[in-house]
Amino acid sequence: MSAVTTASPVSSTPTLRLALRRSVFWVVAGVGALLVAVIAVLVTGSGGAAGPRLGAGNPAPAGGMAVVEVLRQQGVTVVPVDTLDEAGDATAAAGDATLFVSDESGYLSTDQLGRLGDLASRIVVVDPDFRALQTLAPEVGFGGVSTADSLNAECTVPAAERAATISTGGKTLGLPAGTAGYTGCFPGENDTFSVIERVTDDRTVTLVADTAVFANDEIATYGNAALALNLLGATDTLVWYLPTLADVPVTGPPSLGALTPGWVTPVLLLLVGVTITAMVWRGRRFGPLVAENLPVVVRASETMEGRARLYARGSARLRAVDAIRIGAVARMAQTAGLPRTAPLDHVIRTVAALTGRPPERVYAVLVGEVPDGDAAMMALSDAIDELERATALAARPPGAGPSPTAPPSTGRMEP
Amino acid sequence: MTLTGRFVLLVALGVVPIVLLGDTSARALAVLAGWLLLALTLGSIDLALAASPRRLTLARVLPSRVRLGEEVTSELYLQNDGPRRLRGIVRDGWQPSAGAGNNRTAVTLPPGERRLVALTLRPTRRGERTASHVTVRSMGPLGLWARQATLIAPAKIRVLPPFHSRKHLPSRISRLKELDGRTSVLVRGQGTEFDSLREYVRGDDVRSIDWRATARRNDVVVRTWRPERDRRIVIVIDTGRTSAARVADEPRLDTAFEAALLLAALASRAGDRVDFLAWDRRVRARVQGASGAELLSRMVDGMALIEPELIEMDWTALPGQIRGITGQHALVVLLTPMDAPGASTGLLSVLGQLTARHTVLVASVTDPTVVGLTRTRGTREDVYRAASAERTMLDATRVAAAVRQLGADVVTGAPDQLPPALADRYIALKAAGRL
Repeated sequence: MSAVTTASPVSSTPTLRLALRRSVFWVVAGVGALLVAVIAVLVTGSGGAAGPRLGAGNPAPAGGMAVVEVLRQQGVTVVPVDTLDEAGDATAAAGDATLFVSDESGYLSTDQLGRLGDLASRIVVVDPDFRALQTLAPEVGFGGVSTADSLNAECTVPAAERAATISTGGKTLGLPAGTAGYTGCFPGENDTFSVIERVTDDRTVTLVADTAVFANDEIATYGNAALALNLLGATDTLVWYLPTLADVPVTGPPSLGALTPGWVTPVLLLLVGVTITAMVWRGRRFGPLVAENLPVVVRASETMEGRARLYARGSARLRAVDAIRIGAVARMAQTAGLPRTAPLDHVIRTVAALTGRPPERVYAVLVGEVPDGDAAMMALSDAIDELERATALAARPPGAGPSPTAPPSTGRMEP
Repeated sequence: MTLTGRFVLLVALGVVPIVLLGDTSARALAVLAGWLLLALTLGSIDLALAASPRRLTLARVLPSRVRLGEEVTSELYLQNDGPRRLRGIVRDGWQPSAGAGNNRTAVTLPPGERRLVALTLRPTRRGERTASHVTVRSMGPLGLWARQATLIAPAKIRVLPPFHSRKHLPSRISRLKELDGRTSVLVRGQGTEFDSLREYVRGDDVRSIDWRATARRNDVVVRTWRPERDRRIVIVIDTGRTSAARVADEPRLDTAFEAALLLAALASRAGDRVDFLAWDRRVRARVQGASGAELLSRMVDGMALIEPELIEMDWTALPGQIRGITGQHALVVLLTPMDAPGASTGLLSVLGQLTARHTVLVASVTDPTVVGLTRTRGTREDVYRAASAERTMLDATRVAAAVRQLGADVVTGAPDQLPPALADRYIALKAAGRL
């Protein structure tokens, strides 16, 4: 017995401090990469932040943040809303308010547009679609894209007069000449106008054909800013209403999301967490693997099997049968009590005499016959086997035990 | 660091509060976050309270040798040098062939105390089996998280050849004893020497009557003879590539070891001097000048580490090696595969040199399945296989005939029959006085 004691043995598992020190490069590299990514997003990402067109908080070129911020600086309370109900609440709370509407995606139905018209005394509709025109200003049609080189006010609307010019190249609205109650400003050719004001008993609806007038990138050009500020800044409160999907009336059965209880998603997240912890639990190795050199397993009979397959592939029938014959002749000679060096003729004659068969037949089985097919080879093999058994049976002294089929034992008798 | 199934269960139990309390999505998410935070906090506390798996003193008590097929207990003593109670699992990193079975043991180790981790090894392979490390996983008091460290604690045990053939030894020794005091003149020859005189009893060969002694006394006296002692026997084992092949799921090399051990034990009892050499292109093991129990123990010790090499046996250098061992006439036993004439040319080329000086015995393992295959001829493939088996036997017979023609003796046998067959041939040679 040998005893080996290892006091405070060396641990091959690194301690936490050592592991941290070893991985400090990767930690620093990872943090650095993260930092670079964050900075890159901050620098370039402001333009890429997608928001709604003319959104009150959208600083993108198509957004409306510029005009909203200027209005706020001028003391106007700007209330951004998303739904018609909220817009109604906001205008009711403010009393006298201006309602700015830009329904780019056409979410509002005719009924909703009708309600919209009653919400405020001053309504500015930007880029009205067909339904909006039918509801709020039935006489106005579409005028196509303006081709005029310059758009001048040429009307008595104060805001337009102060603006004098606006951006060219936008959409226009068509207003037949002499239509009562309407004032068209910034005319193009063929009775088209970029801004149309309709004054009825208690309210003013201003239709602005193109969104560019209010957009961040165009607001500072021409008289856009003057037009926007005068249209929108007339009252203390401006309700900035951009309709969203929430305005679309829900139809049909409730969706799957509405029917799902609130806890389903968190439970799924928890199951993900359980899976990860279970993977760590089962996957953590209990110490390193122990290496060992194992011997290859080579069976000694592999060369023999290989030779058998070579015979079979090459259909070497005669060679195979001859091998069997040589073995059988040697065994029969031994059985018959002949020396190992006995000539073949002698063996054949002895076997023929023992078994009482014609020597020609024995000669054919042991030497002469050439198998010309697999069936013939099988038959010949069986004949050799049968002859060997017969010889063994005939050579046995009478009175010996049964089992004449047992081959001569090659093993030694154990004492 | 690692975590346990209990921690996984704890995290999974979070489903209950989430379903019960989370009536809206936002609240459910808050409950989820709270639960995960709770689990992580508990786990961290547990980890902080776990005992250090590094502050241990390890001691191993292990026998240096074991015979293949026998069991041995590997004792590993763990002493806790830290201030906290260590609860955990210990894995003793033995090689798979050491046969350690389930090598994970749960231990509880109060501070300053010592515990025994006993492991029963049942090696499955000869050679040196090693353990390199001990891995300790220390759980916290809640059993949620655990600390883990692998401690370097090398150990090795030498697995000796099994020597199954020693069961044949008593019967061979008794036959050896029968040789002593045999009067038969038939065995009198070069290798026998005069032993003593004794009275004639009926049945003794009249030719062994010593007339001169009879004349001095009134009784008829016969001479007795005993086999000569102090003959030299050199056992050479071929460790080249052909000895790696398996017969009856045992490498030929291991069968050769069995035969060599039985022969050495027997010859050493018979008073002969045995030298052992394992050779391919260089000496893998050599035992010279030992006798009795020391001979066997040195032989098995040397054999334990020998594996077949992927090189051809260098027969031409063998006569020189044997000359280096003994200059006298000796019985040289060559344990080598004897399969095909092509592979045995090296052996045949030097056999003449050896037989000129020594009595040479070539012992070889044969495949017992080959004989059976020659009788199986049911299908076309069987016939071809039988033909191939006959061809294999014929090749072996031709090599054996060539070896006999060069003056050497041949012993062949299946793996379980070769060792007793070799011992019997040795006894026969001894009885014939040919040593």
